Amino acid sequence: MNFGKIQQGDPLKLGMRNLYIVPSRFGLLWLAGIGLLQVVAIQLESHGPLLLSFLMLGLFLLTLHLTHFNLQGLEVRCGTPAAGFAGDTLAYPLRLRCRGRCEGLRLGLGAGEADQARSLGPGEHLLSLPWIPPERGRRRPGTLKLLTTAPLGLFVCWSRWDPPVPQLVIPAPRRGPVGRATAPVEPERGGRTSSQGVPGGDLWQDLQPHRPEDGAGRLAWKLLAQGRGAHAKRFGAPLAEASLLTPAAGIPLERALEHLSAAILRLHEEGSSYGLVLGATTIPPGQGPGQRDRCLEALALAPRSL
Amino acid sequence: MIERPPSSPIGIRQRKPAAAADATSPEARRLQWLTEALLIVGLLGLQPALMLSWLAIGLTVLAGLKLLEAKRLGERRLVGLLQLVCAGFLGALQADLGPSLLQGLAVVLALAGLLALEAGQGPDWRMLLRRSLQVLIGALPVTLALFVLMPRLAPFAPLSDLGQGGARMGLSENLAPGSIASLAANGDPAARVSFEGGQPPEAADRYWRVLVHDRFDGESWHTSPSQPRTGPEAAPAPSGTGTPAAQQLWVAEASGLEAVPWDGSALPLGRELRINGRGELLHAGRSSQRRLYRLRSSQAKEGGWQPIPPQTKDQMVPAGTNPQLEALGRSWRAAGPPTARLALAETWFRSRPFRYNRSPGTLPAQAPLDAFLFDRQEGFCGHYASAFSALMRAAGVPARVVSGYQGGTWVQPFGGAGYLDLRQDNAHAWSEVWVEAEGWRRVDPSTWIAPARGGGLRAGPTGGAVGWLQRQWWALDLAWGRWWLGFDREGQEALLQRLLGERRNLVGGLVLAAVTVALGGSVSVLGWLRRQPAGDPPRRQLERALAALAQQGLVPEAGETLRSFSARLEHSEPELGALLRTLAEPYELWRYGPGSRSALEARRLSASLGRHRRRLERALRRRLQRRPTA
Repeated sequence: MNFGKIQQGDPLKLGMRNLYIVPSRFGLLWLAGIGLLQVVAIQLESHGPLLLSFLMLGLFLLTLHLTHFNLQGLEVRCGTPAAGFAGDTLAYPLRLRCRGRCEGLRLGLGAGEADQARSLGPGEHLLSLPWIPPERGRRRPGTLKLLTTAPLGLFVCWSRWDPPVPQLVIPAPRRGPVGRATAPVEPERGGRTSSQGVPGGDLWQDLQPHRPEDGAGRLAWKLLAQGRGAHAKRFGAPLAEASLLTPAAGIPLERALEHLSAAILRLHEEGSSYGLVLGATTIPPGQGPGQRDRCLEALALAPRSL
Repeated sequence: MIERPPSSPIGIRQRKPAAAADATSPEARRLQWLTEALLIVGLLGLQPALMLSWLAIGLTVLAGLKLLEAKRLGERRLVGLLQLVCAGFLGALQADLGPSLLQGLAVVLALAGLLALEAGQGPDWRMLLRRSLQVLIGALPVTLALFVLMPRLAPFAPLSDLGQGGARMGLSENLAPGSIASLAANGDPAARVSFEGGQPPEAADRYWRVLVHDRFDGESWHTSPSQPRTGPEAAPAPSGTGTPAAQQLWVAEASGLEAVPWDGSALPLGRELRINGRGELLHAGRSSQRRLYRLRSSQAKEGGWQPIPPQTKDQMVPAGTNPQLEALGRSWRAAGPPTARLALAETWFRSRPFRYNRSPGTLPAQAPLDAFLFDRQEGFCGHYASAFSALMRAAGVPARVVSGYQGGTWVQPFGGAGYLDLRQDNAHAWSEVWVEAEGWRRVDPSTWIAPARGGGLRAGPTGGAVGWLQRQWWALDLAWGRWWLGFDREGQEALLQRLLGERRNLVGGLVLAAVTVALGGSVSVLGWLRRQPAGDPPRRQLERALAALAQQGLVPEAGETLRSFSARLEHSEPELGALLRTLAEPYELWRYGPGSRSALEARRLSASLGRHRRRLERALRRRLQRRPTA
């Protein structure tokens, strides 16, 4: 059912004013079935089909209310969506609070078909809906359709809502050329050698005897369990030739950003140090998931022209 | 569906779930197949002669084929609807207790299948069963209100081929005993009658007439087209003896005949019943279905049809068809009045070596009754009644053959009133002769030949436990028939008359009001049930307590445990926090601690938690009352 006012705001509480309900096509067929049974019952003066036709009519009248009950009082709010790549199926999180049992709930984002029916008990539920963002940026997934036909499929009850919280969409990774600018590596305090790497990274490099100030987070539990004493893990970034990535010259910006996205993922996998220069934005070289996420977010939010 | 979003963008890459081959739940599929199987079993009892039977068979086959290929939700819904309509058709064709139970079960399963289709993959069998019963019971008040109060319409047109035809009863409008080699033993039910407020007739008087055969062609006896009927108003009033007359409640099985069994003297009750001039009781209902009718026993031994004088056809014997019979009859003409000729005939039969035989073989096509009377001299009731009636006609006494039932088995069920059970092998034929002074007199020539067969009751059903169970089932079936068929158009008219009196124009408002009240009640109860928290009894108590707190904005934060929530609450609302703790501590101990978690323990804890919850709710009410003044 693709009509009806699209609701705004977060959270959305469903009630009489924002729910629509009409008989489904099956509901109309059901009425035709009742008519047929009535004709047979009257013509043959038979109680069986008469009672069945009245039962079906009773069910029709009852399910009008039961179908509405499924969505009435349902509270929907946006979760915190995680970032994802353009063109991929992303998960958009939703929090649903059901006042009572909610049967046969179907949810669908955008123009897509509503997914399989599910039944939710009273209380809080965390759901994620799949959607495919077409392009990068902070994107809202479009209109959410909440729909139910339970318990018998005779009525369709629905509401439409625009979830206001956007999801970060990163350019889809695509292999290709990227521009590079070599970044000078700052000499470390204490005059470390290149083999010792740059401290503060996410890469586990070495072990050293555990000191109380190292805390439990750095303790090498496996060695301790093997009875080889308490050691602390030392993390750092290997001191390599860090490069600053830039969009390759001579190709469209969006395509260049996709190349950068692939390059960042590859460098991260390799454990290399890298930075990013996008117009006025510069991210100094670094390593680890934090660095990767910072760079990818910068790609997602880069202006349309640099 | 992705239940939890991954924490890192790297984990997001995933495929769109492939469309399932069959998008519907397996429970729904199983339920629909089960319904289909029940419907197929129901089809086995149908009469193939009826058009509606073929319609039901066609629809069931169609539903089965659709079920085979259906993959999408819409297709499976259609299967469910087809199955319901099939069950309705079967209900129109078979109203006995057994088939009705089967149809009822098929309807419940078809509805459960539709519910399972809509509920998706989640719910289990118990949940489905509970929900199906909830929805069915919820719809029952409206159903019953409509069934009882909605005025019934008369049939649009007399249909002769939709549900009519297909005789099932052993009686036929043509009686040609000479063409029957052997009487098959048939224990199928024919009719049942109970006598409310009275006693059944004496065993010797248990003659239940159905058809009168008044046309004789020399070989067989036929029923001539029905004569002008006399209604109940035309029947004589019961002779007043001061004692209330017994009411006979008849349930006659489908027969294909308009005529139904009766004792020949009772008064019909109901506009659908008429007695015609030759003493047949005609029922206007559908002869392809079980019919229920009431008669009032009459103290008079004779019915209003008995004094109606014979017509020419009641005296006709085609000349030359049975020359020896005709000659014998003619020889009795000079014997005096009809009663004397009757006596001569009885003497003649008793003096000859006639034997009663259920398998006498067929008679020749030429002069069959001559062959029976003067050559074979063995046969069953049809032979004797035919030959005697023909002899009487030849002797100048108007006579005819009557077919119906004789005797019956008195069944006294475990609970409830007894009744007389007539089976097809109680079928009997006898004669009626016209005696000027008294009208049509019943004469049963079989009694001159085989007293054991003519005078006695048919042997009862199988003895022992099986026979007892069979009789109980018959009794249940009769009770069902009475209850189910009893509330007909006239019963409804009487009820509406009692409810509304002269203000019959208010019937629409009455139906509307009843449906509104019934629907309102069901919706309220189902809405309340829906809001009930799920889980075991202690959990439900806890949820109700938390719901009461939430109504005043006191809700746990995300990730907050019950204990820390009560501690936080105790900080800001000491009384409420302490009360919640008294709920939370025993609950957590029971839920997570060691020890028994039996159903008994759960009930005990639930009772205790219920007391604490009520105290908490009272405290919340006090808090609400304090608020405006604070």
